[in-house]
Amino acid sequence: MPISASFRRAIPAASCSPAVVDKRSRGKRAWKGKPNGMDPLLELLLNAVVAGLLLGAFYAAVAVGIAIAFGMLDIPNLAHPAFVVMGAFAVWLLNDAFGLDPILAGILCLPPFFLLGVLLYQAYYACFESRGDNALQGLAFFFGILFVTEVVLILVIGADYRTVAAPYIGPNWRIGGIDLPLRMLVPALVSLLMIGGLHLLLTRSFIGRAILAVSQDPLALQLMGASPVRTKRLAFGLSIATAAIAGALLIIIQPVEPSIGREFIGRAFAVVVLGGMGSFVGMLMAAMVLGVTESLVATLFSPSWAPAIAFGFLLPTLAIRAGGLMGRKL
Amino acid sequence: MASSLAIDGLEAGYGTVRVLNGLSLTVGAGETVALLGTNGNGKSTLMKCIMGLAVPMAGSIRAEIDGVTHELAGARTEDIVSLGIALVPEGRRLFPRLSVEENLTLGAYRPAARAGLRRGLEYCFEAFPRLAERRRQLAGSMSGGEQQMLALGRALMSEPRILLVDEPSVGLAPLLVKRTIEKIRELKESRNLTVLMAEQNFVQALSIADRGYVIVHGEIAFTGNSAAELNDNELIRKFYMGL
Ligand SMILES: Nc1ncnc2c1ncn2[C@@H]1O[C@H](COP(=O)(O)OP(=O)(O)OP(=O)(O)O)[C@@H](O)[C@H]1O
Ligand SMILES: [Mg+2]
Repeated sequence: MPISASFRRAIPAASCSPAVVDKRSRGKRAWKGKPNGMDPLLELLLNAVVAGLLLGAFYAAVAVGIAIAFGMLDIPNLAHPAFVVMGAFAVWLLNDAFGLDPILAGILCLPPFFLLGVLLYQAYYACFESRGDNALQGLAFFFGILFVTEVVLILVIGADYRTVAAPYIGPNWRIGGIDLPLRMLVPALVSLLMIGGLHLLLTRSFIGRAILAVSQDPLALQLMGASPVRTKRLAFGLSIATAAIAGALLIIIQPVEPSIGREFIGRAFAVVVLGGMGSFVGMLMAAMVLGVTESLVATLFSPSWAPAIAFGFLLPTLAIRAGGLMGRKL
Repeated sequence: MASSLAIDGLEAGYGTVRVLNGLSLTVGAGETVALLGTNGNGKSTLMKCIMGLAVPMAGSIRAEIDGVTHELAGARTEDIVSLGIALVPEGRRLFPRLSVEENLTLGAYRPAARAGLRRGLEYCFEAFPRLAERRRQLAGSMSGGEQQMLALGRALMSEPRILLVDEPSVGLAPLLVKRTIEKIRELKESRNLTVLMAEQNFVQALSIADRGYVIVHGEIAFTGNSAAELNDNELIRKFYMGL
């Protein structure tokens, strides 16, 4: 089920198999909406654009971990979306058992996820990176982690869809004819906050600059007095920690089941590559472009076309700007 | 207080290939010492050993810094950098997709240098006005001469006591070589450094060196206690200048 199709439902279905909601029905409702002088088609399009921006902000939260691992550390962490789903389930457990707010639960999950990232990098380093042959083997390693994570989640939690409860799931702000469902708006704001924070860390701190430099020339970084392995370990820990927050946002937006992460692999990697590998500003722009395109296609044509058309739009953009939107090009 | 370096009986190599065969040399406090030698004689390997990037098989590398002697052989690179030893590596090794300013800032990574970041940047921008103009430019898009200046500046940002420079003249036009070497002398004087410089450009290196060594097949083949002594040397004519 593509997320773009489901995110408009005012209240996410409880743990039942979610039916794909045709967005055209939502569109028709807008047509009948309280007359406020706006051209109905314009209103429909504006709503689709705003919904797409909110969706794009969420995509960015998933992609930011990949932007760090793939774009800055040269670690092909294909399993990242699986960690996002793992984060979603951790948040669900905390919400279900203790009634914790999902975002607070996501923040509580940061330390264990950071630790998981540190351990995972240690294993990756010992098995592949330190031996120098890390391209294809590394990819296979993370592909394996993806499947193992999924299976473990199914065994531990089951294959059902899970949802969380929070005061901002349900209410809808309507400003000048534009719908702002809080369960999309809150995740979008949290995502922007997280990415802004990471951006500051990377550009303003010594360790952040070392993270930016580490894949460009590890030996030169050593000569600056930094350890490339320790730098990458920390950065990969950060990258996996973002999955805890992204997971919280995911389960706020829609019900989650263990293999749902697969839907994001293509999108998240496309966003990172299109954004220019490791540029946060580019990644945000790419995520917004993807979100808006998907949302417009879903509104005007059919939700099931959205991913294909969105990618059809991404590919030529990549062909024209091979370095991505905002990559640091030489 | 200035710092000095004493290398004794150093043996090192790559795998089974021995590159340094019992090399010994000293760099006295406040001296500029030239390490002369043609391609493949082990100059860069010696620099890597001093910085802990290559592990010696035998011998010792002792650095005396502010009256305390440290054994560098077998130490980690980070710890060696932390002592106040910096290398301007062969080929400059800048971070090509980071800006000039970001490259310089990373130079101040070692904990003792972080507090002096602002002062260090000011110093570099004053010493190399070109870098100030280009502070936002990506290092990889700078000219060879500018890159060499940046590499020097980046090494100075760590506030070193001992500065190692590996072939600063490579790839530079003759006029720029002269200017770069002259700059090293200037920096050495104003920052009170001890300098060991590997060079193939014999004439330029000797224009600022107090003393020099000629390295042949990983051993010191000649020790010149003054630039004049090196200039007159038979060995240099034969091995080095090919005369
Ligand atoms: N990483 C390496 N692996 C194997 N052999 C190496 C490596 N680096 C250098 N060597 C060999 O060690 C020897 C000395 O190399 P080194 O780079 O120290 O010479 P150099 O005096 O710096 O030469 P140049 O003036 O060309 O820079 C050479 O024969 C070289 O082939
Ligand atoms: Mg060399």
